[in-house]
Amino acid sequence: MKRWLLIAGRLIIAVIFLYAGFEKVREPWLQFAVSVESFKMAPDSWLEPVSRILPWCEIALGISLIPGILSRWFSLIATGLLAFFLFIGIRASVKGLTVDCGCFGSGHSGAIDAMWYVEHVAMLALGLAVTVGEFLKARERRA
Amino acid sequence: MMRYLLLFVPLALLTAQTPAASKKVSNHKALAAASVQKNFKESGSPTAPVSVEIYTDYECPACRQLYMETLPSLNSEFVATGKVHLLHRDYPLPQHQFSKLATRYANAAGTIGKYDVVANQIFVTQPDWSQNGNVDAAVAKVLSPADMEKVRTMVKSDSHLDDSVTQDVAMGNNVDHLNQTPTIVIIAKGKREVINGGAPYAILKQYLDQKLRQ
Repeated sequence: MKRWLLIAGRLIIAVIFLYAGFEKVREPWLQFAVSVESFKMAPDSWLEPVSRILPWCEIALGISLIPGILSRWFSLIATGLLAFFLFIGIRASVKGLTVDCGCFGSGHSGAIDAMWYVEHVAMLALGLAVTVGEFLKARERRA
Repeated sequence: MMRYLLLFVPLALLTAQTPAASKKVSNHKALAAASVQKNFKESGSPTAPVSVEIYTDYECPACRQLYMETLPSLNSEFVATGKVHLLHRDYPLPQHQFSKLATRYANAAGTIGKYDVVANQIFVTQPDWSQNGNVDAAVAKVLSPADMEKVRTMVKSDSHLDDSVTQDVAMGNNVDHLNQTPTIVIIAKGKREVINGGAPYAILKQYLDQKLRQ
């Protein structure tokens, strides 16, 4: 993979995580907690910590992806998170849950529909490509 | 002696003013009572530190769930204890065929002091009347024939029955920028926080407790 393409891909993922995090921290934590609860995965006692911490983790991850230091590991974490988000979306659809994903705050449609799948599969594919590229780059450096 | 006289003068003036003052107080009480009676969608103390406004549509299943699962606990633990002032706002969605009709029934019942019982009945029986639009039959089960007749007359012909709904919808569109029902607005220290969707009681409680501690 060309170097500039790898950088561009990594920066796109960084921007996605920064945007997702900022949109959520701008809102009361209760808003994101309502979204998290709609997935019926976490006990009530987890809702507040998850909805307070996760957006800041997204921001931290977004910032960490920018300078290119330890980028393969941060890309791997980002891809893992994207895979997890896609998994919980599929799980919600299979269970027939009416979910508001809250991925980018309440200002965006959080319904898990065809568009949601297109977006999330595309983000995951980009994440995978960047992670593989970063690991290959690291191996080339060592060789 | 002079000192006693000086004490007596303001006392005399105060006594002379008492009837007027008490009249003012009683006028105030009457006004407050009238406004309480008028705004039947309100409950709890108007001076509560936190206000919660809930936009609902009578035909929306998520609103029904919020009404039946979250509101009873909210009412007993926060509203009845004076911690929260609660206001229902109507936001009938255009895609719901019978929602406006149901809203008219609830608000007509409100004008005769039966808002809570009728709003509750409308939500409870939502799966039935949302199929055929027979809100009347559902409401008739919880009102006396005389009250039902008053409600029917208002639903048919009261042109001002939707005034508060128009205000609520305008508020929802212009101030709270609603994009769904239910929507919960939490007002603390003058700040309005709009929460889209129905919050389960457990997390709403955590959030309100934090607001009350602040």
